[in-house]
Amino acid sequence: MSILAVTEVLVAQNIAFAIIAVGVVVAGVRLVTTENVVHAALWLVVVLAGIAGLYILLAAEFTAIVQVLVYIGAIVVLFLFGIMLTRARLGEGETVNKKMRAPALVIAVAMFALMAYSLWGYFGSTELEVMGRSTAELGQTTAQVADTLFLTYLIPFEVVSVLLLAALTGAIVLARRD
Amino acid sequence: MLLNQFLLLAAVLFCIGVYGVLTRRNGVMVLMSIELILNAVNINLIAFGTYLSDATGQAFALFIIAVAAAEVGVGLAIVLMLFRNRRSIDIDAVDQLKG
Amino acid sequence: MNILAAVGVDNPPLDWHALAPELVLVGLLAVLLLVDAFGGERSRWAMPSLTGIGLLAALIPVATLAYDGVVRSMFDGAYVVDNYALLFKALFLIAGYVVVLLSTNYIAEGDYWEGEYYQLLVASLLGMTVMASARDLISVFLALELLSIPAYMLAAWRKRDLGSEEAGMKYYLMGVFASAILLYGMSLLYGMTGSTLLVDIAGAIEGTEVPALVALAVVLVVVGFAFKVSAVPFHTWAPDTYQGAPTPVTAFLAVGSKAAGFVALMTVVLIAFPTQPRIFEPLIWALAAVTMIVGNLIALRQTNLVRMLAYSGVAQAGYILAPLAVAGVSGASAAMAVEAVSTYLVIYAAMNLGAFAVVIAVARKTGSAEIDSYGGLFSYSPVLAVCMSVFLFSLAGIPPLAGWYGKLTIFLALIEPGTLAGYILAVIVGLASVIALFYYARVAKVMFVDPAPDGDTTPIRVPMSLAAALTITVAVTLVVGVLPQVLARVTGAETFLSIGG
Repeated sequence: MSILAVTEVLVAQNIAFAIIAVGVVVAGVRLVTTENVVHAALWLVVVLAGIAGLYILLAAEFTAIVQVLVYIGAIVVLFLFGIMLTRARLGEGETVNKKMRAPALVIAVAMFALMAYSLWGYFGSTELEVMGRSTAELGQTTAQVADTLFLTYLIPFEVVSVLLLAALTGAIVLARRD
Repeated sequence: MLLNQFLLLAAVLFCIGVYGVLTRRNGVMVLMSIELILNAVNINLIAFGTYLSDATGQAFALFIIAVAAAEVGVGLAIVLMLFRNRRSIDIDAVDQLKG
Repeated sequence: MNILAAVGVDNPPLDWHALAPELVLVGLLAVLLLVDAFGGERSRWAMPSLTGIGLLAALIPVATLAYDGVVRSMFDGAYVVDNYALLFKALFLIAGYVVVLLSTNYIAEGDYWEGEYYQLLVASLLGMTVMASARDLISVFLALELLSIPAYMLAAWRKRDLGSEEAGMKYYLMGVFASAILLYGMSLLYGMTGSTLLVDIAGAIEGTEVPALVALAVVLVVVGFAFKVSAVPFHTWAPDTYQGAPTPVTAFLAVGSKAAGFVALMTVVLIAFPTQPRIFEPLIWALAAVTMIVGNLIALRQTNLVRMLAYSGVAQAGYILAPLAVAGVSGASAAMAVEAVSTYLVIYAAMNLGAFAVVIAVARKTGSAEIDSYGGLFSYSPVLAVCMSVFLFSLAGIPPLAGWYGKLTIFLALIEPGTLAGYILAVIVGLASVIALFYYARVAKVMFVDPAPDGDTTPIRVPMSLAAALTITVAVTLVVGVLPQVLARVTGAETFLSIGG
């Protein structure tokens, strides 16, 4: 901070954002267009890692770490296991896409136009001031997040615990050989 | 940085995800596209949390990550069962031949 | 506690009495897990009894809370226990109990994982009871997931059956996609209002000028819920899932999950969006009208009774949506809409569960749910045929069965605001009910007039648990139909949905 002027940091932030954004979008597009399931899972890793980078830009380090640990570390590995265990089904010549790309593309682009119009209309060029504010001021220290989770959202937290237990029990029953 | 930078990027990811859900035929790939949408939601939440100086955004995002893990676990269990069931029919046939 | 206080953490303000029903369910879940893990094979027969007793035990705190009559609000109004919440908690618990009765023999005699089945059922019911009290976006979302995720797995519970797998897969993918869309809408609401509390959101999006983003968020949230309640055009999963899933699970999805979806939709729309009727009213109006018409027309040409009940369930979702389409006109119309939806959900639960109970009983003999296989049912099992007719004609809305009272409250709620939109929707409800009468009456005709398809007229032996389920549902259908004031006393109370904390 002391070495770089604030404006230089801002420029650096914007450059970082631009690089991440391009990477995430390209990886996302490849994810939904590639014919190979394993490649799709690997593109998903790129997207998730890029998004973890965005969280750091937004001063939300704790969520960035959770993103890497849970999403990349657990969910993608789960995907890869799933693909590995069911790979035989993707026989040669069997395409993974339906024949409705054009209408789907139209829907996606139209939705984006609508969303972009609405978002720009509401938030316009509102500045996001991360610079010069401590994480405490941003309400994003790990302690503050913990307080929110365990005080304000105590009941949802307990609900998630039961949910994970139920998902565990049921998934074992469904996936096991019997 | 503008707030909208993040929101628009999230919107792009959301739409890519919707495109994927509409075009994919493979269950696992549909699920990955849905993960894109969930991540778009999380970008929104974190960006709003920073913008509003409020820890709720992060808390919400953490809940979504936990739920996504449960969803993917369940989804892959169902996919695995679908697959195993079809293959297990073959295995039964092999067992019968062995007598 | 003292350790927490020493490091400067305040204890969250918990009202244990208000949480008691949920705590009983969590305890029940733990007991089931332990008994299943350590009890071995011999304990399996005890699972349904234990679950049933636990669910009835959870009703006790609901009753004491209702007797107490105080609106209890926790976490700044994120979790509220009022009469509205209590009515639905009671509804979910009793419906869950009936589903346990339906499952007892079905699950024990089939090739199923029994202990886990009841655990997932209890987990899903826990999600529903939380949903009845949830008053902020995060609680609503997590309650929705807790009630849906076990339901996805239950739909696929018949592991060796390709139809059941397809049911689980379709339900799962549609459900997960819907909640992702719902979440995007919720994230926008949070960003615009800075709060996840429904009451605060209502205050923050107030105003005559509607920004496009508010409209987008409201539409996404409503569409997300429309999937859950199987409104047309988001209903495509419902018939396949209902047909493929084990029948008791179908009954659970058709009644429990759907009712919980409506509770969530109603809570969010009436507490968070009442200031924006211009967005949600036309949307729900169109959904309701299309759902009623399409659901009934497709139900007409079904040959499988479960599939017919699935489409009839879609059509019923249209009736239940209808009052919400005029709920934003005034405070009175909102109150009427809440009353109509609550009344109809209670009645719908009784008659639909009953219909599925008969389907399960008949399938024990015929092994089929095709409408043709019901031929001659009256000649060899007159009680079942009469019960089924009671449920079908109640679904059609014929007095003196409960369905007519449900329809009446919907008509009253639609006419109350005196708007053209309300009148048109009331006419559509009327027309749709007439169409529906045809396919309900056709089943009755098959049962009473047609001969048995293979001449087999041995009576159906109905196990005790199924008989109990039939008794409960027939009793509710008849009592509410003849004495609607019993139900009206509960749903018509002044401070029914205490908006805010």
